[in-house]
Amino acid sequence: MTEDFALKVEGLVTNFYTYEGVVLALAGVDLFLRRGDTMGIVGETGCGKSVTARSILRLVEPPGRIEQGSITFFDRDRETNEIAPIEILDLEEAEMMDIRGNKIAIVFQDPATFPNPVFRIGTQIAEVIMLHQDLGRAALEVKIEELEVNLDKTEGDRRNKIEEKIEHYKSQLDTPPEPDDNDKKAAAWKLAIDMLKLVKMPAPEQVISQYPHELSGGMRQRALIAMALSCNPAILICDEATTALDVTVQAQVLNLLNELKSEIGTSIMIITHDLGVVAETCNWVNVMYAGNTVETAATEEIFETPMHPYTMGLLVAVPKLHETKERLDQIRGSVPNLITPPTGCRFHPRCDFVTEICKNDRPRLRELKPGHWVACHNPQGGS
Amino acid sequence: MTELLVEIENLKKYFPLTGGVFRKVVGKVHAVDDVSLDIREGETVGIVGESGCGKTTLGRTVLRLLNPTDGKIHFQGRDITELKGTALREIRRQMQIVFQDPMASLDPRVTIKNSVGEPLIVNKIARGPLLRNKVLELLQAVGLNEDHLNRFPHEFSGGQRQRICIARALALNPKFVVMDEPTSSTDVSVQAQTLNLMKDLQKDFKLTYMFISHNLSVVKHMSDRIAVMYLGKILELTPYDIFKTSKHPYTFALVSAVPVPDPRFAGRAQILKGEVPSPINPPTGCRFHPRCIFAQEKCKLEEPELRDVGDGHLVACHFAGELDFGKSAQMEYAQAVSSS
Repeated sequence: MTEDFALKVEGLVTNFYTYEGVVLALAGVDLFLRRGDTMGIVGETGCGKSVTARSILRLVEPPGRIEQGSITFFDRDRETNEIAPIEILDLEEAEMMDIRGNKIAIVFQDPATFPNPVFRIGTQIAEVIMLHQDLGRAALEVKIEELEVNLDKTEGDRRNKIEEKIEHYKSQLDTPPEPDDNDKKAAAWKLAIDMLKLVKMPAPEQVISQYPHELSGGMRQRALIAMALSCNPAILICDEATTALDVTVQAQVLNLLNELKSEIGTSIMIITHDLGVVAETCNWVNVMYAGNTVETAATEEIFETPMHPYTMGLLVAVPKLHETKERLDQIRGSVPNLITPPTGCRFHPRCDFVTEICKNDRPRLRELKPGHWVACHNPQGGS
Repeated sequence: MTELLVEIENLKKYFPLTGGVFRKVVGKVHAVDDVSLDIREGETVGIVGESGCGKTTLGRTVLRLLNPTDGKIHFQGRDITELKGTALREIRRQMQIVFQDPMASLDPRVTIKNSVGEPLIVNKIARGPLLRNKVLELLQAVGLNEDHLNRFPHEFSGGQRQRICIARALALNPKFVVMDEPTSSTDVSVQAQTLNLMKDLQKDFKLTYMFISHNLSVVKHMSDRIAVMYLGKILELTPYDIFKTSKHPYTFALVSAVPVPDPRFAGRAQILKGEVPSPINPPTGCRFHPRCIFAQEKCKLEEPELRDVGDGHLVACHFAGELDFGKSAQMEYAQAVSSS
């Protein structure tokens, strides 16, 4: 295929080895993210959405282990636009550090627990910037700016000296020397303020020296997004980033994500259980159930003509504001235990269209319509 | 008109804030501030609002789980605001609560039989084999069976645990049940099951619900009347479809902030500025004015009364009925759906 992918995951298997048995959390997840797309991963608790995100960043902690599969990240060079595929599962830990937070960044679910409570917001954002970015040029620019402010205040001999210094720094701009720690900090701090401005944080100059508990939930979430975006990542993963927020604040954050996408051209992966959030922000959807991708297609396609029985059930089970219904259409049963998952198709015990083959054979993801993949033996013709 | 079951008059609940060496009271959180609400027998009143608006505090204060700072609560015509000891315990049989997190409200070391049976033992209603039968009846009413009697909470899924909590709340055959965010910790498919179950039980047991949630769609699905709360006050109380006939700008903003489950209408939500102010120092005048796009000088100075704009539709806005909100994405979506 000649399509421009940012990330491709094939046959990903992640297990957790617990006392009660092996939890088969991911059983062959397939997904792809096109460059510039916003993709939503939807599913219920325990379907493996977050484990997928963590696997992509190799953040699965013991007792969890990535068993097999491939995760390919297509790294595009910012200057030459050349694309180099990188197999994430083959990387050394040190090479992974260069990708994690720098090229693929993640925003976690709960803004109340994630920012470290004992460090200032600015320190935490600046840390990411100092770790991943070459600050030589930025440090020089900060110095020049400072001197220019001084320049206006001084006169005579000293003025000439300052002018000389500015010229000196300006000549170094193209081949900046390695800055010392203080210069780095000053530059990173300034970039951090720029990032907070980008996410429309009110009063960024004050917020930067505040602690997380001084901010409200929505502001913390903005700070986290700023932190994730501070290295201009190729892929931003939002793991239930708006779930803990109120509707009005959620609307603000979603709006921000939509705007940022067009501004900085990052591919975004949104993990959520809320179909409304998906409809609002994503152009591609990946529906997961019990560790499998069951359906993937463009957002309009999924909402108009869902083909997998689970997707159909999910769409009608949500109470909607505009309709008045006596009873909701429910999916019977509950999410299976993944230590002993159902054989064959993992959805078959809850499915209304189950046949004999579903119990024994696991359906593969097939492209049933152009651009519409479904893993089902009895796909429903989009009714 | 059916009988009134619960009458709440000018209810206030402030939490003191202490500070300094001597833990002096330095301020108070206005969690519930002058709320009046009548609940009729057999109906479901939905309470909706953002976090920190006082909806949970209201639910708990009505049940006297928290003592009100001021105001009166009547249950079946009887003033229960000052009840104590045995009298309070007697009345509590009639009113129960289902909490948000079922895992936290079930003792992990007690079997389901004992958890659900405890209210029956405490109130000396049943013991021994009779108790077992009673508990089994309750479990069957919520869709569980005999096998589950001797299991522990960790052996159940989230949805099943919430059913157990509902069964326990129903053990004493109450009249009034406060549902405090009963489905916010469950999944979409399980949420539908739980909501359907609660509707069935309401018919079978002739229950009156106070349904508290932050999810507008769920509240709308469950309730006959909806009260919208903001910073401890009811801003709108409507017997109508909240989504079609909201008259308060806040209600309209809430409704239009709900993401529309249709990609064709993406990015059209009306976005409310800012965030909920602190309930320690609520804004003067109308509490919503700093975020309201229609705010005028009058809103900053005078606090609007909750007034009837027709047929028991109460709105606390100076300009109720005069404002033109335009059309929300939700409405356009509804039109598109109904016409197709």
